[in-house]
Amino acid sequence: MRNFGMKRALVGAAIAAFAMNASAAHAASATGTATAKILRQITLTKTSDLQYATIISGATASTVAVSTAGAATCGAGLTCTGTTTAGSFDVQGTSGAVVLVGGDSSVTLNGSLGGTMTSTLSYSAPNITLGATGGSFQVGGTLSVGANQASGDYSGSFNVTANYQ
Amino acid sequence: MFRFLKAFGLFIAAAFGTAVSPALAAGDLLVAPTRVILDGSRGTEVVLNNIGAEPATYRISLEIKRMTAEGGLDEIAEENVTPAERTALDMIAFSPRRVTLPPNQPQVVRVGVRLPEGTPPGEYRAHMLFRSIPDAASATEAKPATGGVSIALTPIYGITIPVIVRVGDLGAAAVIGEAWVSDTPDGPAFNFDLARSGNRSVYGDIEVTRPGVAEPLLVARGIAVYPEVAQRKVSLRVPDELAAKLKGPVRIRYSEDREIGGGTIDEAERVVK
Repeated sequence: MRNFGMKRALVGAAIAAFAMNASAAHAASATGTATAKILRQITLTKTSDLQYATIISGATASTVAVSTAGAATCGAGLTCTGTTTAGSFDVQGTSGAVVLVGGDSSVTLNGSLGGTMTSTLSYSAPNITLGATGGSFQVGGTLSVGANQASGDYSGSFNVTANYQ
Repeated sequence: MFRFLKAFGLFIAAAFGTAVSPALAAGDLLVAPTRVILDGSRGTEVVLNNIGAEPATYRISLEIKRMTAEGGLDEIAEENVTPAERTALDMIAFSPRRVTLPPNQPQVVRVGVRLPEGTPPGEYRAHMLFRSIPDAASATEAKPATGGVSIALTPIYGITIPVIVRVGDLGAAAVIGEAWVSDTPDGPAFNFDLARSGNRSVYGDIEVTRPGVAEPLLVARGIAVYPEVAQRKVSLRVPDELAAKLKGPVRIRYSEDREIGGGTIDEAERVVK
């Protein structure tokens, strides 16, 4: 029943339905009951990553902010290059359904050549009401860059969830 | 026969979800149904589907969330749970807990309840979390830059649905309080208070109508008030033009889920400020 059995069940159901119709037509006393339950569903897909692009650190500590709309604010003393984007997630489900969204409020990034940075995270809304075409929410943040932050590739992960109540 | 047709329904639900998904990142997921209520005697099944373009590994776990007066759900660390919440975590059994799925591959997660002898009547609840575990190789998009700092942030994202176990004969009622329109940093919101009494949660749909107008101004489905709060605020973001329309006399109806008849829980006439 699980895994590919599910696909097989689709074929099985179609065949079984035909068989039931056939027998009902031939035997006047036969009664058939077909039940199919359509379950409400929710989907969550990532449509873009939160990207601070590339930063060249300066002599003093500063910050880079990316709003939930994707706009970047490069702090004094820093050089920012590349295209920044807000993280974005698409939610699909029953039209009108209210879905609570959110996640971690900060994330620590570890550098490939040592060093760490932290970023606060902000979310575009605490909940979204799904329309006929679903809904979406965005994640922005503010990255704290140290004075003469060690260069390298910094990576970190954070949790995001869409919650039904 | 019945099992086959039931599976057919599940499959349709799953297939529909994949048809509308616009993106194809690894780890994208579908979960159905969106809420599970068990009475302790029978189990159920929840379908998880990989709707991404690449194989993905998902972890399935239970966590405790508490509703806040603001209507949010706070995640509670396992060491901070109450004895009743601990009981909820212990009584809900599910399998599997980790699964790797190729694209468009549904997986049935079986959920059951083990009620210990003498469990006090009440509503026990945990939230089932379906979360994709990122693949380290595909998550790295950082490009090294000379003398610069490149950043790769990987969201670990997932879906939670409530799993509710009801023991004994429970009842609850809800009363709609004041309603108002407010401004939030992200735009206007329609707000109202929802008070709850009784020994279980209430759950249902909200419909806001203008007297004499058939078409509802606002429909919001799946609004719960959980037993840990006696009252919550419901705050729904609305477009500017709708916020203007909502002001004035309205009728707010809180009704039970359509799947269990859609009976009215509470109905109130309010003048929205």
